[in-house]
This record gives sequence, C-alpha cells and structure tokens, in this order.
Amino acid sequence: MSMTDAQILERYAREPAPLLPVLHAFHDRDGYLSEEALRVVADGLRIPIADLFGTVTFYHHFSRKPGGLHGKRVCTGPVCCRKGARELARSLGAETMPCSGRCDDPIPVLEGHTTLIGNTVSDLVHKPSPLPAPNPGGYQECVFAGIREEGRAGLAGYRKGGGYRALEKALAENDPEGLIRTVTESKLAGRGGAGFPTGRKWQAVRDAPGEPKTIICNADEGEPGCFKDRAIMDYDPHALIEGMALAAFATGATRGFIYLRYEYPETNDILAAAIGEAEAAGYLGDHFKLYLRRGAGAYICGEEGSLINSLEGKHPFPRNRPPFPVTHGFEDKPTVVNNVETLVSVPPILRHGAAWYRDLGLGEHAGTKIISLSGDVARPGNYEAPFGLPLHTLLHDWAGGPAVEGGTIQAVTMAGLSGGFLAGDDLNVTLDEPCIRARGSFLGAGGIMVFDSSRDMMAIAAEAMHFFAEESCGKCFPCRIGTQRLTERLTGAAGPRDKTAWLDEVADLGSTMKAVSACGLGIAAPLITESLVRYFPERIEQHCAS
Amino acid sequence: MTKNPTEFSLTLDGKTVNFTPGETLYEVAQRHQKDIPTLCYDPRLESFGGCRLCVVRLEGAKNPVASCTTRAEAGMVVHTSTPDIETHRKTLLEMVLSENRELEVSPLRGYASQELTELSERYQARTGRFEGKQSGESRIDDTNPFILRDYDLCISCYRCVRVCAEEEGDYAISVMNRGFETQITTEFGGLLKDSDCTFCGQCVQTCPTGALADKKAMRYSETPGEIIKTRSICTYCGVGCSVDIMTKGEQIVGLQPAMDGPANEGALCIKGQFAYDFVQHEDRLTTPLVRGDDGELHEATWEEALDKAADGFKRVMRIHGRHAVYGVASGRTPIEGDYMMQRFIRAGFGTNYIDNCSRA
Repeated sequence: MSMTDAQILERYAREPAPLLPVLHAFHDRDGYLSEEALRVVADGLRIPIADLFGTVTFYHHFSRKPGGLHGKRVCTGPVCCRKGARELARSLGAETMPCSGRCDDPIPVLEGHTTLIGNTVSDLVHKPSPLPAPNPGGYQECVFAGIREEGRAGLAGYRKGGGYRALEKALAENDPEGLIRTVTESKLAGRGGAGFPTGRKWQAVRDAPGEPKTIICNADEGEPGCFKDRAIMDYDPHALIEGMALAAFATGATRGFIYLRYEYPETNDILAAAIGEAEAAGYLGDHFKLYLRRGAGAYICGEEGSLINSLEGKHPFPRNRPPFPVTHGFEDKPTVVNNVETLVSVPPILRHGAAWYRDLGLGEHAGTKIISLSGDVARPGNYEAPFGLPLHTLLHDWAGGPAVEGGTIQAVTMAGLSGGFLAGDDLNVTLDEPCIRARGSFLGAGGIMVFDSSRDMMAIAAEAMHFFAEESCGKCFPCRIGTQRLTERLTGAAGPRDKTAWLDEVADLGSTMKAVSACGLGIAAPLITESLVRYFPERIEQHCAS
Repeated sequence: MTKNPTEFSLTLDGKTVNFTPGETLYEVAQRHQKDIPTLCYDPRLESFGGCRLCVVRLEGAKNPVASCTTRAEAGMVVHTSTPDIETHRKTLLEMVLSENRELEVSPLRGYASQELTELSERYQARTGRFEGKQSGESRIDDTNPFILRDYDLCISCYRCVRVCAEEEGDYAISVMNRGFETQITTEFGGLLKDSDCTFCGQCVQTCPTGALADKKAMRYSETPGEIIKTRSICTYCGVGCSVDIMTKGEQIVGLQPAMDGPANEGALCIKGQFAYDFVQHEDRLTTPLVRGDDGELHEATWEEALDKAADGFKRVMRIHGRHAVYGVASGRTPIEGDYMMQRFIRAGFGTNYIDNCSRA
C-alpha cells in the first residue's frame, strides 16, 4: 500500500528536517516529482512554491520526468571513465552521474535504489560493497580494527567486539568534560578533510548557549575517489551510532542527523536497521534522537553550511562564515558537524586511551587515516594508514604497484580531486598534511586516484574541472564562472590558442578563485590546473598547438 | 553601561575608526568614504557574499574576506584596497564581462542598471578576456507589459530573488539549477503573470545589469533628450512613497523609486511603479464637461460646471435631507484637499458623513 499525500506529510512534518524525507517519499511513491506533488509539499511544509521548485532542480537525482527515478545512472568518475563508463552509459542508454563512491569495484550503475556493478551491460550484478582487506603493513588499526569481524553490522556482533562499551562507560562515569579532554589529547582531527581538532569542536558546542544542540554526521561522501565512509557504514554502522551518541553525551546534544549521500542506497538500509536496533537497545531514544536523512545528489552538500541548509529545506548554498556551526548550526543552534571516519574513531580512542591513538601515527604524527585508493593499482581499496606512511609504501607494497605489469605510475590525485595531482618527485611524499601541503596539495578526505603512464592527464584534468563546474552551486562569482572557464580551456572548447595567453588566463582565473571564492570548492578547483601546469607543461604545449 | 570605546574600534586603512557592534566591515568602510565595489549588495537586503568584489584584506586571515558578510570586531586591521585585492576585483569583473554582457544598456532599464557598466569602466576591465559559453537565457516568451526578463544579461547576483523575498515577501522568483547553468525562474519555469509576482518592479530596480528592465520606460529609449529626474511623491495612496519622475523634454518616460524615500526606502507597488500613463494620456479631461438635456457631455466653463454641481447638491439636500450627502476624498488628494473636502461637507451641508477611499 503506497502512502497518501496526507500520510507522507503526517509521517514527517513533525520531525526536524522534514523536506528531504518528504520529497524522497513522493519521489519513491510516484517514480518522479510531479508538479502536483511539489504543490502538496509546498503547501504542507509552508515553503514558497518557487523556492521549492528551484531547490528541487538543484539536486542531481530528483527526477521531474515520470519514471525518472528508475532510469539507470552510470558513474562517470575519473576512475570509472578509464574503465569505459561512458561507453557503458551509451550501451545502456543511461544517464551519467558524478563519482558514486565505488571506485574499488567495476563501474557502479544506480538503478532506482539498487547499485549494480559491472564493466559491460551483460555482467551487471548487485553485490555488497568490498570489505577492506586486512592491513597489509601489519599496522594496528583504529577505525578498521573490528570491521572484518563476522556479523559486525548487527548489534550483537558489534557488542561482541566491545561495541557500545565506550558509551556505557561514559554514561556510568558521567564526565563529559573528561571525555572531551581525552578526545582532545588524542589529537583526533576532522577526517572529512578540513582537519579541525575534534575535541575543540565538541568543547565549543558544549560551551555554546542555545538548545537543542545537534550532532550531524556528514556522510555525504561526494568527493570523487573517496569511498571510505561507505565501507565504514556498510560494515560497521553501530560504530558510527556509538560515536554520535558519545558526541551527543559530550556536548549535551539531544538530536542528531546522518546526512547520507543519495548514491549509497544499500548503506541507507543498513543504517536504518542499525538505528532501529540501537533504539530498541536504549542507546538511542528521547535523550538522543537520531534521524537518517538522505541527500539527493549534490557534491556541495558535503560542505557543512550547504549540508545544514539542505537539512533545513533551504536552497543548498554554503553559508557565510562566521558564524560557524558550533554556535549557529542547524536551526541556528550549536551544532557539531563531523565526518563518519572522525566519529567512528572516538569509541576506540575512549576504550584504549588518547596515548594509544596518538601512537598509531608514525614519528611526530598522531593517529591514522583511511585512504581510498583507486585507479591503476593492482589492489585498489580502503586502507587504514598511519599518518606519516610513505605514499610509495602504500602504492607499491600495500596495493601491489601498477595494475598493469611493467606500468609506471604517472600521477596520483590527492584529497579525491580537490588536492589536484602529485607527480614526478612529489610522489615521494609521506601521508600527512604538513608534507603534502608543502607540495601545494593536501591529503583532505584521503581519496587517492592513481593514473599510469598510458593515461592522458589533460583529459583527466578536463574531466575533473568539468566535475567542479557541474557541482559549483552558483552562489559566488569566482567559482561559478571560473570552473566553467577553466573547463573550457582544458577541453579546448574556448580560450586562447597561444600558449602564453592560455597560461596567463588560466593562472589569473585560478589565482582569483583560490583567493576569494566563498567555499572550499572554488578554492580547491584551481589546484587541478596548477598541478597540471607544474607537472605536465609539455602536455599543455601540445594542447595549445593542436 | 558604557563600555570602553576602544572595545569598538578597528584599524581601517591605517586609521583607527569606531564601529557599532553588529556593523559589517563594508558598512564601516562606507561610513568612511571607502568606495568598495560590489555587485550583489543592496543595503536593504541581507548580505549575501556572492560577487566577492567587496573582499578586503584582513590581517591574520589567510584569504581576503568579503566585507559585506564580515562583522566588525575590535582590533581588526583591515585594508580595503591593496594591489592584490584590486587585481582580484579586476579579474572578477573580466570574468563577469565574459558571461554575457552588452557593453551599454539604457539607464531607462532600471535604477541600478548601470552598476556593472560603471565598475567595468572604473577598473578598465577588458572585454574579450576569458571568453566562452554564455550564461542565462532571456525569456522573450514572457510578454507581460511591465518587466523584461532579459537573462542574457543576468550575472546571477540574485538581488532580484532576494528583494522579492526579503522586501516584498512575494517569493515569486527563485534560483533554478546550479553553477553556470543557474537561471532565475518562477514556479515551474512559467510566466510572471502565472506566478506570485505582483509586478511591483522591485527586481527591476535592484538589477545591476539591466537584465530585468522596465518595459514601459524602455518605450522611450530612442526618444531624444537627456533624462531629467524630478523628486516627487506617488499620488496613489496615503503611504507617500517618494519617487523620481524621469522626463525627456515634456515627456514622462518612466518612474523610479527613491532609495532614500523616508516612507518607502526604495519600495513601490505596481501602481506607483508602472501606472503613470494617465498623467499624459490623451483621454485625460482638459476642460469641464456638463451633461446637457440631450443626455450627452458638452464642454463647459468652470463657472457653468460648478453652478450645475451646486444645483445638484442643493436639490438632493432639499428633497432627501442633509444626511443624503456623503463626501469621499480621493486617496490621491493632498492633505489640503482632504481638509477642504471635510469643511465643505461638514460646514456646507451640516453632516459628518465623510470618508477617504484609502480606508477601504
């Protein structure tokens, strides 16, 4: 029995952040978002209809055509394109979508709420996402320590491995300040890429006036080449719930959201089941109510201001900062926004202590980072690396080196796509921010895509910039226009033919975008062109000559 | 409870200046005659931070900050115009010019329509740089008589969307799609007349490029003569909105709200904005008319007309009594006229039956 309009509104209208689930309910019921449905939603949630219409068009996956929900969408991320994703999309007569976070598998194809995997039309199958391989370096892990245990995704399995012990202990000790102190001493910092110290963020929310306070888990893993959060949530969902419950206890928050990207439908079901179990077991409840919210396809919603606007049902433009979410977040109340990996790191830190976590890193570096490794390596996948691990070790010893025997690694991306490329001697970096930032890039969320010497870096750069142009929200001028103009210069669709003029325009666009863009998207996008110019000048020469 | 005044001071281009808590750096700078360029800024609206032209150097911050969205804090050291900042501003303008810009647009398009043109000249921004795809698509299908939706000239500053929501409360228009594909839209991409638009023209007057334009005023684009603006008060209702009447020679060519009008601060409604044709309309009466015994109206002198009216009033009062006379002043009469009307009715007929049409 499908729900009536009134039932859908009744089901969600009194919950916080109702717009996305209401739209999804209509989208799922009708197979698209009809004008009639949008008018009902606008009326029911008291949103001006023009605003609602505009906001719906912002999201990639909300279809406005009958049957649109069920149409196939093929991932055309940088790695999938190298595997023939565009040809697959053409054979299927399917739409394309940006990187959907399954780079360690053959090409993912989204059909309704099912992920199919395959390289050709005939071998598309539905199967669970890959489980991270045991740590190839034999290093002790934090996030992945228990993920390979049988039945870990269920409550019983999670508890068997020591799950919810940290939460129980925290509640028994009733010392939120002490808990935050431990997190601060562990030197855990935001693993979504920004690297803000987690303990400081929690303390700021604890200290900020205003209630109710909110914990948001940013699970909108939209960065191309990043698929670590998917693995964590698919195989260890209770770890995330425990991490969020601990954050709530520490800060005094009474409500939480997991903002999950649209392209992870199976993960959505896994999380929903886990939340149900955790509620039944009393870990969640009136003291901390956790809501699962599904995005609808917008990279920028991984930016925390956009994410909060999206939750609130507003147009998902980034917010002006300051004020920051720690004081003015969801509904202008103090809010923690943490990445999945960050939150999942907390229960083990509390069980084993701050010093244990710090010591997981190599040398001066504290802790670990999940690296999503994909592309032209023999064994792509998620690896939990100690900070400070040489990139060379990861690429060659852990992942088996180039995928093709005798191949050479030409370049890698950093921070998914946002860090641009590293190549040549700069492949000798260690995996930590100080080292990588010194090369003009950053580790960020830890996505690394590998390209061997058979790959055309100009084409990859053009695709990368096209991605940023498509995902630019349109709020600030330098990003909205700059990503478009850089794409045109990389594809050759427009721009000077003379190399000096080409370089001059590209440098000026990039310099202004980096300096004055309103959020990280516009600031990071020019790293693509900067690194291309730095490592592959001869390719630009050819490009301008052709 | 006065605080130490140094708690509310910052350094602006080397000078210590005071500020009121809550003020933005842009507002502080404006008070000190710093001419910071903007395109998405309208002082009546919430700061948006989109165009990034107003960025300033804030010591201690890694990147320049948008002065329109950054609140002043004690001890800040701010530079409003460094060589770097000026370079970024020029590059931004050249990026904007590459989108879709016509070099010259008629000032009759709207109050703010020259903003981009003037900034381009001030920064000597080069056209032809960063050439590429054009953004925005004009809605020539929207044949409403008031608002031209010439989105070929749109630079996505969203002032129109924001003024419609924040000042008018109409929420008739919004932002569709994202990035370079962004387009201003109504619900479901329809025509303005099928939306919640009230044709107040506020979007037209805040548009910094003339992408939204006053269709009625543009009828006179080709009319020779300089545009003269004359400050007046809208004649329609009791609010008393200040307006600037634009004329070329003897011809009224358009009307713009006065941004400094004490009653309206730049606001107008559809009547004040667009319904001024009556002033010079050919149907307008120029002499009194009196209905003759033949039932037709005939031109008359004022004396004849007033005698006729007085006879009529007196006859009604004689037959039906003094309370049969009822005076209603037009909402468009000045206060002196209203006074005269009530004296005329009260003293002349001895009844208190008076009213004003604006009350309805």
